[in-house]
Amino acid sequence: MTLPQTPDQHGKGEVELAVSLGPLRLRHPVINASGTFDLGEMEAHYERDFVADFPFSAYVPKTVTLEARAGNPPPRVSETACGMINAIGLANPGLQSFLNSLPALAKLREPVIVSVGGSQREDYVAVVEALEKTLDSATKGSVPQVAGYELNVSCPNVRTGCLAIGTDPAETAALVSAVRPLTARLLVVKLTPNVTDVVVVARAAVDAGADCLSLVNTFRALVVDSVTLKPFLGNRTGGLCGPAIKPIALRLVHDVAAALPVPVIGMGGITTGLDALEFIACGATAVAIGAANFAAVDAGERIVAELEAELRARCLPSVSAARGLALPGSARSARDA
Amino acid sequence: MSAVPAGSSMVQKAVTVDCRVSDVRRHGTFAVVSLVAPHLARRAVAGQFVMVAVPRGGFVLRRPLSVHAVRGDSIALLIEARGHGSAALAAVDVGQTLSLAGPLGTGFVTEGVQSALLVGGGIGVAPFQMLAERLAAAGSYVTAAFGFRDHRQARVAGAFDIPQLWVATEDGSLGRRGTAVELAETLAVQPGTVVYACGPLPMIGAVQRWAQSHELTGQASLEAHMACGSGSCHGCVIETTAGYLRVCSEGPVFDLRMVIAP
Repeated sequence: MTLPQTPDQHGKGEVELAVSLGPLRLRHPVINASGTFDLGEMEAHYERDFVADFPFSAYVPKTVTLEARAGNPPPRVSETACGMINAIGLANPGLQSFLNSLPALAKLREPVIVSVGGSQREDYVAVVEALEKTLDSATKGSVPQVAGYELNVSCPNVRTGCLAIGTDPAETAALVSAVRPLTARLLVVKLTPNVTDVVVVARAAVDAGADCLSLVNTFRALVVDSVTLKPFLGNRTGGLCGPAIKPIALRLVHDVAAALPVPVIGMGGITTGLDALEFIACGATAVAIGAANFAAVDAGERIVAELEAELRARCLPSVSAARGLALPGSARSARDA
Repeated sequence: MSAVPAGSSMVQKAVTVDCRVSDVRRHGTFAVVSLVAPHLARRAVAGQFVMVAVPRGGFVLRRPLSVHAVRGDSIALLIEARGHGSAALAAVDVGQTLSLAGPLGTGFVTEGVQSALLVGGGIGVAPFQMLAERLAAAGSYVTAAFGFRDHRQARVAGAFDIPQLWVATEDGSLGRRGTAVELAETLAVQPGTVVYACGPLPMIGAVQRWAQSHELTGQASLEAHMACGSGSCHGCVIETTAGYLRVCSEGPVFDLRMVIAP
């Protein structure tokens, strides 16, 4: 890689990392992908105060469904070349348990974006309604700052709902239309890459009232057991993530960001600050870290630090200055900075 | 999810530390890798595991490895070269540094055990050196029955220092012919003996049936493919009488009777 200047020569000025997802101001662009970083579990297992020293600029808990879900039969995960495949199946203790867990998150300074999943439209509606009711009646300081919702219409590992909604533009629009009137909070729709043209679904979501889009969820995939020659995962198929999918995810983020005016949260195989910067260049306003959280508990803070160094190395004064440089019509290059 | 841990409760939290490899001893396709890790050596309970970063380019998940033994400020890991990750770990040299996260998971309960029988298969024997020492230190009488595929795999028995250690191989090329459970059947087991089992799920099932037929209680340490190792991803569940439970958090040590095995 040839850079215009070395970081040492031009490392003096402050780099502005803060970004805005619509009305939501984030102190830096790096958040966690749902289901890959459980704050309660991290606190329970590691000798570190993750609440006081939260690595991400927003917290996206594991997808919440109306009823508890046991998830898929094991095995559920397998490493693959430059990535991994999973078929967890939205295992979660359900809405009521999530509501009960909210006070434990009250001390978190970062905003929370609640990931919502379901088998049918009514499930998503019921979860958002219940959360709105709980949040509206909660005394100040007793619950975390819930800044928005991420509608998960892209989990490839459940039999009904989710992916069936997210692969159908009309179903996606109907879901967003049903949820939009229930909340003034940021409404994010998490898109699947398992479609012919992601822009069609993205546009349907935005036209129905989505404020923001996040992509990509995992790619449907299969791993064969080398001994039995049968599908390895208990669910037969799973979702592929990790660096293996990064170039495809970049192309999809690029296509959506070029076509639509809403902010995009880009994700898919980000393990370094440079990966994050590439997504930002492809038009992402924020990025999410998924599988990298499994490889290291400090992935989030490392990637933020690396992103800052990458911007500084290119004399880019802010994340915004890098945003969209890879999009068509962007005459600028990082070399012009 | 209601957790019903059978192992000792996790009292000490985990840290991520870079540890220097201080010794490597090879036993066939196995390696006993010792690392200078005072923090882990102080805290680890027998049966707990560490998530070890694989020293290899590109994206690789950490590998969950049982603590094999504790020696002063060092911990030892027993590694079988199976896939590319474990092969890279088994090939490390003295002086290299590995990133370890741990100790994680529940450990074996060792208090108040008069007589203990350790039944292990293949790489499942890994935690039994530390367990045998902790049991012996607590006054237990320890017997171990290890089962391997063949004499090549059985070379790992050389990594153990357990006075009453018996070995079987499935092909009869070393020790008694048969499985670890068939070997256990030949040993004189006192009533009230606590059975400790570690190995693949079918072996756990066989131990379960054998223990039940002899009215013995026990604890089982389970293996699973893991991603995070600390409860976030729900990737490592096994089926139990309490539903799906995570090997990394509710386990790896479970009450032997809870495990639903083929």
